[in-house]
Amino acid sequence: MNLDKLLETGDRCIHKEPPTCVANCPVHLEIIDFLSEIEKGNFQNAYKLMEKKMPFHKIIGRICDHPCEAPCERSKAGGSIRISDLEKAVLEYGGYKPKKVWPLPKNKGKVAIIGAGLSGLTAAVDLDKKGYVVTIYEKTNQLGGRLWDCIGDSLTEAMLLEEFKAVADKKMTTHFETNVDKNSLTQLLTEYDAVYLGTSDWEEPIEWDPITFQVGNSTLFVGGRLVNKTDSVILSASSGRRAAISIERYLSKVSLTDSRDREGVFETPLHFDISKKEPLPPIEKTVTIYSQEEATEEAKRCFKCQCRKCIEGCVHLRKFETSPDAYIRQINHNERIILGTHYANKMINSCAECGLCKEECFLDISMNDVIHETRESMVERGKMPVSAHDFALKDMAFSNSSRFSLVRKQPSKEESKDLFYYPLISFSDYVKGLYKGTGKTEYLFYPGCQLPASYPDDIKSIYEYLVGHVKGDVGIYLGCCGAPADWAGQTSLMNENIEAIKKVWTEMEQPTFILACSSCIRIFEKYLPEIKIESLWDVYVREGLPNKDHIKIPQTLSIHDACGTRENSDLHESVRKIVLKLGYGIEELEYSKEKTKCCGYGGLVYYANREQSDAFISERVGESENDLLVYCAMCKDLFVAGGKRTYHLLDLIYPKDDVESATRRMPTLSERHQNRSRVKQILLKEIWREEPMEAEMEAGYSLIIPEDVQKKLEDRYILLEDIQAVLKNAEEQNERFCNPETGEYLARLRRENVTYWVKYRKEGEAFLLTSVYSHRMEILE
Amino acid sequence: MKQEGVDQVKWLCDKCQRELELAKVKVRYMEGNFEVDLMKCPTCNQVYIDETLALGKMKEVEEGLEDK
Repeated sequence: MNLDKLLETGDRCIHKEPPTCVANCPVHLEIIDFLSEIEKGNFQNAYKLMEKKMPFHKIIGRICDHPCEAPCERSKAGGSIRISDLEKAVLEYGGYKPKKVWPLPKNKGKVAIIGAGLSGLTAAVDLDKKGYVVTIYEKTNQLGGRLWDCIGDSLTEAMLLEEFKAVADKKMTTHFETNVDKNSLTQLLTEYDAVYLGTSDWEEPIEWDPITFQVGNSTLFVGGRLVNKTDSVILSASSGRRAAISIERYLSKVSLTDSRDREGVFETPLHFDISKKEPLPPIEKTVTIYSQEEATEEAKRCFKCQCRKCIEGCVHLRKFETSPDAYIRQINHNERIILGTHYANKMINSCAECGLCKEECFLDISMNDVIHETRESMVERGKMPVSAHDFALKDMAFSNSSRFSLVRKQPSKEESKDLFYYPLISFSDYVKGLYKGTGKTEYLFYPGCQLPASYPDDIKSIYEYLVGHVKGDVGIYLGCCGAPADWAGQTSLMNENIEAIKKVWTEMEQPTFILACSSCIRIFEKYLPEIKIESLWDVYVREGLPNKDHIKIPQTLSIHDACGTRENSDLHESVRKIVLKLGYGIEELEYSKEKTKCCGYGGLVYYANREQSDAFISERVGESENDLLVYCAMCKDLFVAGGKRTYHLLDLIYPKDDVESATRRMPTLSERHQNRSRVKQILLKEIWREEPMEAEMEAGYSLIIPEDVQKKLEDRYILLEDIQAVLKNAEEQNERFCNPETGEYLARLRRENVTYWVKYRKEGEAFLLTSVYSHRMEILE
Repeated sequence: MKQEGVDQVKWLCDKCQRELELAKVKVRYMEGNFEVDLMKCPTCNQVYIDETLALGKMKEVEEGLEDK
């Protein structure tokens, strides 16, 4: 994994970028924090933030020309936050007696300051604090320069005098009524280690570096109105401070230019979306200064601009309280450590890889791609926790084993000829389709693995529909597309699987695949672009729906699009057309189509972190009062498990009278296996009229499974075939423990990489299970 | 990783009809090899792991090793 590229991606994330107000404040007052403190009524904390960033905060806070306000995002929704008025309120309510600061010994060099205006005083005080011997030259007989012109409603003469007294108390040598001209400047440059020129005008043009304020390579630095060419007090103070930083760097012999690109006013890359924000007008002052209550209310209007688009849509990012920039740093660390714990593993395996983050991002940052690449790297380096995806990969192996996997061409005309003589049957579309058979497979129906597991009874109906409606022979191919391997980062297993599918496709003379599962569509698009695919839903739209009278209770449904179909807008439209045709109303969810969310199954998060999966489920099912309509089997099963009435499109197309399909619970893990095997048996028997090659699964012992034990089986990923194997070994080998007091037995058996334990009691011929559990650790008996 | 609690004293090895005894047992997961005190049958060496241990400390150690 290219970690430098990874970090570059992280650096592009604008989550941590400053808001426009801070970027436009020349001294970068932390305005969001400042407003948050006011909002909480902590005026003193807000005051401390001003004190930290703003030179002469008691003066500037009252006369600042607030360049922060105009670009405020709130200006587009009611009016800018009145930051300047809030600063005045904070000076009024948050002031406190400052602690005595002990001055540093003055041994770092001599600096002359020319001009005791705001910029000069800022430079002087900053350098004095850092231990320089500062001497001030001022042409008038007082400190402050044009600040005296700013006395008005807010700033009083007394305040200025108090501030200047504090400066005088620092005992910097000050030469009043001393005019410095070109000649005396040359003299000063020889006497001092550095000179700051902060006069408002100068007798000849001067050129300076816009970043460092240094004049050429000399020891002269400039600032204030001479540089800024405006009356802005805050720019003046900022330039004095920045020149003082340069002087210190210069005299300390370190780089003057390193990491200074964001000093002063800069353009922030932050992009804040206010499109969904309600306008709110500013709070008006009742007197000249905001009351505390008014200030608090005004501060509440702040959006606290921060890009959270991806986080707002993603319950995974929220659960781990992270953002792409921070997430990527954690991945980087996780990838680099050699010894020690990989703390980010759990997080990395809790992403649904659904891709909504990229869809929401202004900069197209895809955590989906980042996570996917990370998982592949973890597998490659042998650092992927086995337990995270073990069950899902075994499930995939099951689907590709002879217990489910099947490839068949459409039954030939010759094999089907008996059907053509029965009037009722021969009029069916299916038999007509068989009659038209050519022997060349134009289409291959590939229902995937989870749809047959959840809808075993509909696969045959769908197949017959396809034979009867599409032009050309339709074969069938049962198996797993490899989505679990893809999600688990198992590159080589994935490639093997793809090659196997490609082989069938070639042998069948390159038919078009008809896919019914959203994950299969995603996998085919990603790995098998050479194979032409069509979604079953598109076929229904093109060829017409199979039944005529489907509707039971007309109602409005909200469609949850499968995350694997995010970029497939044609498919979204097909699904909607079908739903409308069936007579239902549609109310779209806020997050739908290309902005849909994951149900909680994607990325195998269902297996790797059940708590995270539950969070996905509960968030999504809470987004609509309507019953949901889905077209992915796992979405359906998870939402129903989450207590939401949910229809799968097949529930509407092939309605069944005996069950309430919107609440039909998901099959257990064992039933999913059995259902797949059953689909294969049904197809072989009823379509191809073959005797099943393999006997159905051995019946085994008769089991009584109480509800609590059933839940344990599901939560702990234990299959009934594991239970049967343990019992068989226990009964036949007598390898078990017994509890004479309760009459219970406890038996274990290691199967592959897991040891399964079953606690049971015999009830006649049956086995009553009282508990089941497992561990991966191997006991060397 | 240690077996605790009083539950295990009730269990006997069904094959040998012997009471279980605490003994040093070797366990292994990934790169980790440990020797721990577990209850086992002194005759056939069948080791008893109860649910609390399997889903508690044992799982914790497994996860710790997987994240190494």
